[in-house]
Amino acid sequence: MAEKIGVYIDESSVAPLLSAEELVAFVKAKCGGACPIVKSHKRLSSPDGVAMIKADVATGELDAVLLCGTSPRVDWELFDFGDKVIVDRVNLREFVVLGYKNPDGSAPVPGQPVPPELTSMVYDYLRMGVVKLQKMGTPNPEIPETVKTILVLGGGWTGINAALSASGAGYDVVLVEKEAALGGKAAGLYKTFPMNYPYLEATDTGIDRLIGLVAGNGKIRVCLSTSLKLLAGAPGQYTATLVTGGKEENLAIGSVVLAAGWTPMDTDVLAAYGYGTLQNVITSAQFEAMVKAGAITRPSDGKAPKTVAFIVDVTKAMEATPAAPVEEAPAEAAKPADKKAGEAAEAPAFSPIKTPKHLAYSSELTSLVALKQANYVREKLDDAVALIIYDSMMVPGLNERYYRAAQDNPGIMLTKGTVTGVVQEGITMVVSATDTLLGGDISVAADLVVVPTGLVPATALDPTINLLYRQGPAFPDLALFDGFADSNYICFPYETRRTGIYAAGCVRQPMTMAQAKEDAAGAALKAIQCIESASRGVAVHPRSGDLSYPVFNFVRCTQCKRCTEECPFGALDDDEKGTPKPNPTRCRRCGTCMGACPERVISFDNYNVDMIGSMIRECVIPPKIEEGGPRVFILACENDAYPALDMAALRGRKWSPYVRIIPVRCLGSVNAIWVADAMSKGVDGVMMLGCKYGDDYQCHFVKGSEICNRRKENIAESLKRLGVEPERVEQYQVAIDEYDKIPDMIDQFMDMVLKIGPNPFKGY
Amino acid sequence: MAYEQRIKPDLQFVKDVQAAGGEAVKKCYQCATCSVACPLAPPETPFPRKEMVWAQWGLKDRFDGDIDIWLCHNCGSCSDLCPRGARPGDLIAAIRNITYRDLVEPTIIGKWMSSPKHLPKLIAIPAVLYLLIWLMTTGFGLPQGEIIYGKLFPGDYTIDPIFGLVALFVAYSFYKGVMKLWKSFDQAIPTTLQIGTKTKKPTLIESIKAVLFDEVATHVKWNDCGKDNTERFKGHLSLFYGFVALAIVTSIVAVSHWGGLIVPFIAPLGHTPMPLWSPVKLLANIGAIALLYGLTMLTRRRINVDPATSTSSYYDWYLLGVIWAVALTGLGAEIFRLAGVASLAYPTYYLHLIAVFMLFAYLPWSKLGHLVYRTTALVYAHQVGRLPLKREEDKVFMI
Repeated sequence: MAEKIGVYIDESSVAPLLSAEELVAFVKAKCGGACPIVKSHKRLSSPDGVAMIKADVATGELDAVLLCGTSPRVDWELFDFGDKVIVDRVNLREFVVLGYKNPDGSAPVPGQPVPPELTSMVYDYLRMGVVKLQKMGTPNPEIPETVKTILVLGGGWTGINAALSASGAGYDVVLVEKEAALGGKAAGLYKTFPMNYPYLEATDTGIDRLIGLVAGNGKIRVCLSTSLKLLAGAPGQYTATLVTGGKEENLAIGSVVLAAGWTPMDTDVLAAYGYGTLQNVITSAQFEAMVKAGAITRPSDGKAPKTVAFIVDVTKAMEATPAAPVEEAPAEAAKPADKKAGEAAEAPAFSPIKTPKHLAYSSELTSLVALKQANYVREKLDDAVALIIYDSMMVPGLNERYYRAAQDNPGIMLTKGTVTGVVQEGITMVVSATDTLLGGDISVAADLVVVPTGLVPATALDPTINLLYRQGPAFPDLALFDGFADSNYICFPYETRRTGIYAAGCVRQPMTMAQAKEDAAGAALKAIQCIESASRGVAVHPRSGDLSYPVFNFVRCTQCKRCTEECPFGALDDDEKGTPKPNPTRCRRCGTCMGACPERVISFDNYNVDMIGSMIRECVIPPKIEEGGPRVFILACENDAYPALDMAALRGRKWSPYVRIIPVRCLGSVNAIWVADAMSKGVDGVMMLGCKYGDDYQCHFVKGSEICNRRKENIAESLKRLGVEPERVEQYQVAIDEYDKIPDMIDQFMDMVLKIGPNPFKGY
Repeated sequence: MAYEQRIKPDLQFVKDVQAAGGEAVKKCYQCATCSVACPLAPPETPFPRKEMVWAQWGLKDRFDGDIDIWLCHNCGSCSDLCPRGARPGDLIAAIRNITYRDLVEPTIIGKWMSSPKHLPKLIAIPAVLYLLIWLMTTGFGLPQGEIIYGKLFPGDYTIDPIFGLVALFVAYSFYKGVMKLWKSFDQAIPTTLQIGTKTKKPTLIESIKAVLFDEVATHVKWNDCGKDNTERFKGHLSLFYGFVALAIVTSIVAVSHWGGLIVPFIAPLGHTPMPLWSPVKLLANIGAIALLYGLTMLTRRRINVDPATSTSSYYDWYLLGVIWAVALTGLGAEIFRLAGVASLAYPTYYLHLIAVFMLFAYLPWSKLGHLVYRTTALVYAHQVGRLPLKREEDKVFMI
């Protein structure tokens, strides 16, 4: 808790509307006791300004510094005054000077008397800044004993590459493969798509060379015929229980690269193309195995085919089997449980995900495999012809060159078309298609027909990571990705919702070996980063480097389990009684648990219920709406909404002078008590600005804004009971690039508030 | 709805097309820029896109009776605009080359004409023939006195009978070819469907007149193309009229010579060698100069053309080469004769005979066969009304 705060006003930020000296005088008068030093400077971020603060800090008189000027999003790297001094910022430039407009909508005129609304706004922000620091301590995390071994799950192409990357960076690796040999699917491939310039020809996979490298690598321990039975603990401190031929072994593990790969999809959807009934219709996986084994023959008589047709279009297969309704994410189930903190809420049972969509998701590979295997036909058989019927030839990136090379081959014939069926005529197969480039409906005879193979990620069929977590052994909400362990962040591919586990390769999304190799390196780096972060006691992405961590005051805990259930990352376990058991290295520091707790048990040293509550209380609320106007608090998500507000102000947009903006880590961390406090204090409304939620959420903590929305419903109900209009509390979804919309949202909300009139509690 | 058509991809046909000048055909990704760009393509089932698709798939039977390969005048607009460098213009030319090769018997000549490796045989036939005559007349010796080629190769007994037979053979071959083409067009082009206002079908004579006078004589379609075709237009036009002039000269000589036997007073008209002031000789020399000018223009164009948009096949070079040989040896023979250098004049004339033989005897199987086949197709197209879309405004394409 900061007691001796140095307050510094940045003149360049407040000019020309406000006088820095006046602000200094105000802080001295109102907060003098807590602030031994109050100064202003022409430009705090200048070397001279920083030197001035450093000199003050050096006197030992200060334990915190409050910089009042620019947004905390800029120049933060300049203002580091050592571990002992907490630094915080008051955003006077963007939120006050640039964002301010008079109640009538006009802009304030420099040199004229300062409008009273502007004065009360800047005073509110200054007081909030001081009280925020007073409620803030220095996080002092316990540094855990960490293990620096990386567990790589899956000994295929991706797993081997990940193991080599991690060991190359100096980390010990345990490479677990459930089969008796390394190599996975790559070992069964005759060739793969080009991986090097000029990207025109399929090449040897090179898997044998990599297996050799693994074998000769002292830092990699290979466990064959082994599966992961249990993964207990937390990043940096995992205990993996491996089973090899009935024998169990416990290993200490730091973090995990998940490279469990894929299995071919059930072939029932391929019945639309005669697969299963016609002997000479085979899957691309079977064709690959045939070529790997040596010769291309047709199953019926073992003769070499003269014409091989490859079906890339899967329209009919997708129509024939309407997609099974995707199971609703547990969110549905959790809704009622939310209110009465599910007494018997057990971890949801794992249900495998089977969907024909896996075939559609694999379409890039389907296209490339058809091109590759058509080339096999040309390579292995004299004067044989390969026909490819595609709906969309998906060859992004450099593979366009491979596509062109295949097109140039005189014996590879391609057409767009919708395959309507495959029938047998004598010994040959006849493929029919409509809407082809050849004009109208065609049929063509082929000796062999090859149908595509859908990739089913390992995580769709099995929990795979077998976590000993309160929220269950598997990744949560995988139905959203139809079973793929895909990242929960668009721009960060290897993330999963279990800290310390990073997915790579086809378990994440269908991809080529060239992509999987990059994926492996990326996931290995993330695994290393995680171990290193855990061993320093800091958070991983997206609050990378954050030293704070949730602190539990168990004395007051009622074992309601809200925190353990709502944590988007499964960070909290609990004991038999339901007392939460924190795992700091699993935690991403979003504060969703803090927002969940009705007893205010959970806090961060530099972010807690009391802190925000005190900030709210520190604002002066005019007792009458006619004298001083209404007041509205904006709780703005730091990740998107806050930067969007900054940008709106920097681009000359202004908004109502009656709002006060308070940044929050995530809307998930918003505790209902803040809203209740604000309303009882006579505030006329609360706007919560957070990220988009739902299936295409943009929340940095996946569930935060969604959970906030559910809690808001509860708040609204409580308000109703008290006779307060529930519209006074509203949540808005804002993306970082919607800065042009935010000021209008605020003004519309203010109009609404003015329309329904003052908060009935005002003045009490 | 369209009925399902069984297609038969033929790899050998794809390879043949590629060998005949359509190497880039497989690059096509069927965007149809070519058909849109083509100023000569009719609005219904335009070319050359459909030909590109057929050729890629080796659908040989679809080209039977495809009149469009003759409607194309190979201006190259399609190839210039092709985003993939698939050179549709070259593909159409390649299909024509394959047609020259296979259309009429004996197809062995067509095969020999299709590849440079058979060139020695084609040269050897006239070379040996005229060598034998040389042997018989003077025993390889050079005649003394005034240079008169008739001393070596007497017109009445060697030149005229041989070329007479060749002419009959060529005419018969063309007759078969034209009939075959006509029938194939009949089979391929549906006659029952009539869209739009009914138009009166022109008579055959009308169609022939329209094609010969409105198109062939003026080369009007050459300048319909979407790009600057001046070099090609001038070259082809002067080559065409050079040949017309030489054909007139040859006719006068032949008619007056043989006709002179019956009507004696016309005989001197075609008596060779002629004096230089003779109007017939003047016409011959003008024809030769037109030939050389045309050849120069066309050869220069082929040498300078960007290989990314157009390439020249063996068929192109064979024809240009033979015409060059005819023109140069013809002029050489005249110059050496006038200069009185017997040792050069007689061998040059011998070479001239070989070149002329190669130009005419193999004509139905050479690229020059388009003289007859394209004319036939244009007449047929005029008959059935397969004509380019009337342009209301200029198509402008920018690259």
